[in-house]
Amino acid sequence: MFRKSIVLLISVSLLLAACAPSANPTSVPTATEAPATEAVTSVPTIIEVPAKPIKLTDGLGRSIELPGSAQHIVSLTPATTEILFAIGAGAKVVGRDTFSDYPPEASSVTDIGGSMGKYNTEAIVNLKPDLVIAGGINPPELVASLESLGLKVYFLANPTTMEELYTSIKTVGSLTGDESGADNVVASMDAKAKEVDAKLAAITEKPMVYYELDATPFTAGPGTFIDLLITRAGGTNFGAKMDSAWAQISLEQLLLADPAFIILGDSAYGESPATVSARPGWDALTAVKNKMIFPFDDNLVSRPGPRLVDGLEALARLIHPEAFK
Amino acid sequence: MPKRFLPYMTNLGLLLAAVILSLAIGSVFISPGELWQILHSWLTHSPLPTGLETFSFIISDIRLPRTVLVLLTGAALGGSGTAYQGLFRNPLADPYLIGVASGAGLGAVLAMSIHWPYSFWGLLVVPMSAFLFAMVTVLLVYSVARVGQSVPITNLILSGVAFSAFATALTSYMIISSQGEVRRALGWLMGGASQNSWQAVLAILPYLIIGLGFLLMNGHALNLLQFGDDQAQQMGLPVLRKKTLLLLAASLATAAAVSFSGIIGFIGLIIPHVMRMWWGADYRRLLPLSIIAGGVFLILADILARTMMRPQELPVGIVTALAGAPFFLWVLRRAKNQGYW
Amino acid sequence: MEIRALKIEGLTVFYGKRCALQNITLEVPRGLVMALIGPNGAGKSTLIRASSGILPLQSGKIRTNGDEFSSLTPIERARVLAVVPQAVALPPAFTAWETVLMGRTPYLNFLGQTSKTDEDIVRHALQRVNALELADRRVGELSGGEQQRILLARALAQATPILLLDEPTAHLDLQYQVALMQTICQLAHEDHLAVMIAMHDLNLAARYADSVALLVQGRLEAVGSPAEVLTPERISQAYHLPVQVVPHPFQQVPLILPGG
Repeated sequence: MFRKSIVLLISVSLLLAACAPSANPTSVPTATEAPATEAVTSVPTIIEVPAKPIKLTDGLGRSIELPGSAQHIVSLTPATTEILFAIGAGAKVVGRDTFSDYPPEASSVTDIGGSMGKYNTEAIVNLKPDLVIAGGINPPELVASLESLGLKVYFLANPTTMEELYTSIKTVGSLTGDESGADNVVASMDAKAKEVDAKLAAITEKPMVYYELDATPFTAGPGTFIDLLITRAGGTNFGAKMDSAWAQISLEQLLLADPAFIILGDSAYGESPATVSARPGWDALTAVKNKMIFPFDDNLVSRPGPRLVDGLEALARLIHPEAFK
Repeated sequence: MPKRFLPYMTNLGLLLAAVILSLAIGSVFISPGELWQILHSWLTHSPLPTGLETFSFIISDIRLPRTVLVLLTGAALGGSGTAYQGLFRNPLADPYLIGVASGAGLGAVLAMSIHWPYSFWGLLVVPMSAFLFAMVTVLLVYSVARVGQSVPITNLILSGVAFSAFATALTSYMIISSQGEVRRALGWLMGGASQNSWQAVLAILPYLIIGLGFLLMNGHALNLLQFGDDQAQQMGLPVLRKKTLLLLAASLATAAAVSFSGIIGFIGLIIPHVMRMWWGADYRRLLPLSIIAGGVFLILADILARTMMRPQELPVGIVTALAGAPFFLWVLRRAKNQGYW
Repeated sequence: MEIRALKIEGLTVFYGKRCALQNITLEVPRGLVMALIGPNGAGKSTLIRASSGILPLQSGKIRTNGDEFSSLTPIERARVLAVVPQAVALPPAFTAWETVLMGRTPYLNFLGQTSKTDEDIVRHALQRVNALELADRRVGELSGGEQQRILLARALAQATPILLLDEPTAHLDLQYQVALMQTICQLAHEDHLAVMIAMHDLNLAARYADSVALLVQGRLEAVGSPAEVLTPERISQAYHLPVQVVPHPFQQVPLILPGG
């Protein structure tokens, strides 16, 4: 027993010592500038702007004050990352969550975790950001624990309408000093959305659309952006009559409603027209018989960001191709 | 040094090594030498050597509170697992047997379904709710199981299974019908310290001191209970009172640990067995050793959880199960004594 | 001389709706071995358990040394009355030494720390039952007879004036049965313990007990010396079996033989 304890202690000490080289990860930036590995599309010119304090109320009802516009930002959600890059603040993003994959430039920004809700707080602290932007999917505990480390966190609540989304984008613009960039993005989004509206002005019917979020199956219920976009794209959302935003449905309900379109938001998880047709009983659906099953990039409609209007257009083209000839 | 101190020295040595490892490993490796320098400057209030200021902050505000919280959680689970196995005289007993985990899960998910104001108390609602529901579940299980002047073990287990199933079903229902709190709820249920702050440590410390302290003082009582209620009573133990208090104390410690860290399995089940195999079945020794060993094990699991898939962080409950099972099988094969239970 | 003893007065115990013991009145003075006999289900074990205070009483009183047993705390009770249960399902991992040490519980502080005195008493108890060489063996490795002796040593370590035994010879080989009974007699006669022992072997009871109590279906049919109680009529009626009672060839006790 004595020997065993000694062996244990020695092994653990050796483990400790041996950990030195293997535990060395990405190098820690000792200065406060962005990591050298970041590739930016445009080199920001340093304009000396007099620092104007910013004071805004965030989505948790707190008043957030910044001495000047944020220059080193960590984004905790993919939607925020897309917004930041779209408004021209991409160079200011020093850290982003794992799932931020758009635009492609975001991939070269330091990954600070985020899968299963766990972020690498040490990595965030090491980046020395002057602002962390949290999103609707981040729980208040996370915001609190980041703030307890001395970080400034702005909670961007999830918008539920296009107008709220435009406000969100402009808010981000105010935080980063890219107000004009934000206005541009909003203007172009609005223009595009209205263009789609115009094209759809003459449609006579709104076919029923079943948008699948998950193969269980789950669909998007009322009050979601998907519901909003489908409606605006000239369709009727099958999920609109459900009780909750993330609604489990049954084949029976689908058969009764018999939607004209099946749009697979879960195509990234392996669902395809082939797999759907193969599901027992689903071949009775009109949409399956007519092969009106379409894979779809869910990120275009589920991330509350600039590409939402792209999602709108994509949906409209699917549902009313005749309006886009 | 007398031979009887050997197990404590070994466990404490392992604990020290684990703590140093936990403080050293992270996004940047801080060597034990640097750790010592930082500690030294804290203790003597002297300035830090240059270049170590960031490290000092990382240690004091990120790694140290997390390590302490993880240590306390593991200690609570190790200690209460031992107590539960002793109380139920069952090698399969673990701290969640009579409903702490399912109650805490229900409480947490219920709290998460409501949007609390972002304030000091608002942020404490989820852990407090978890704790409250955990204790209420235990009390319900206990009162249903009690028959007159005794609490038969079989009744406790059956009652615990029934309430757990009910609470878990309710919890699953709430998760499925939630508006998107799924990620948050599942993250909590799978375990892992999300609120790694000194605040969390202070919040659970009183309950751990009371709960584990009571257990530590009753090692002899647990020894007696191994002979059955009748013989324990005949030897002078006030059986009903002791069992009730031990159950409450163990549940208190577990509920506190679980309320901030979520459901971390395997520790309460395995650590007592390993300690029993190595150091014998006397609960007066088993309890303190399991408390320390539980802390060691969870610290090591936590280190793995945050380094295995860097920069991702796995929920530590997954790591304890993945790493713990093979470890236990290895120990089992090496155990020479067949009758260690 | 003050007779400090075990007095059972009008004891009635119910298991649910079934009456297990009815109005039992018995007295076991110090220095005496009383054997409780009777067919299975008569209530022998129940009486032992009830006398040790672990069963709720419908009515009746237990007096130990003149005190009302129910008014004593568990510790006080354990200092006055010890029980040797049957050697079944003992925790296998404790050593014999540790097991016997448990008997010192009523005298330990609340942390359960033992002193040299306790250890001396444990050693003495193990010697008494001829089991000192088993001290470091795990109980799980011991035979039934050895375990039973350890349990007896444990009760001895409890240092009580009253000793109750629940069918201690039930699963023992013959030599162990005899050895145990001889030790018990020594304990009663030399150490002045009051001993009540439930047993099923009538001849052992006849040979070693000073007094015999016959229980049938929860009722005390007879109590007295072995010769008084162990009559052919009584035994045949109680056990539903014709028996003959003859004088023992070499001892002054009755010998019960089945068959009429």
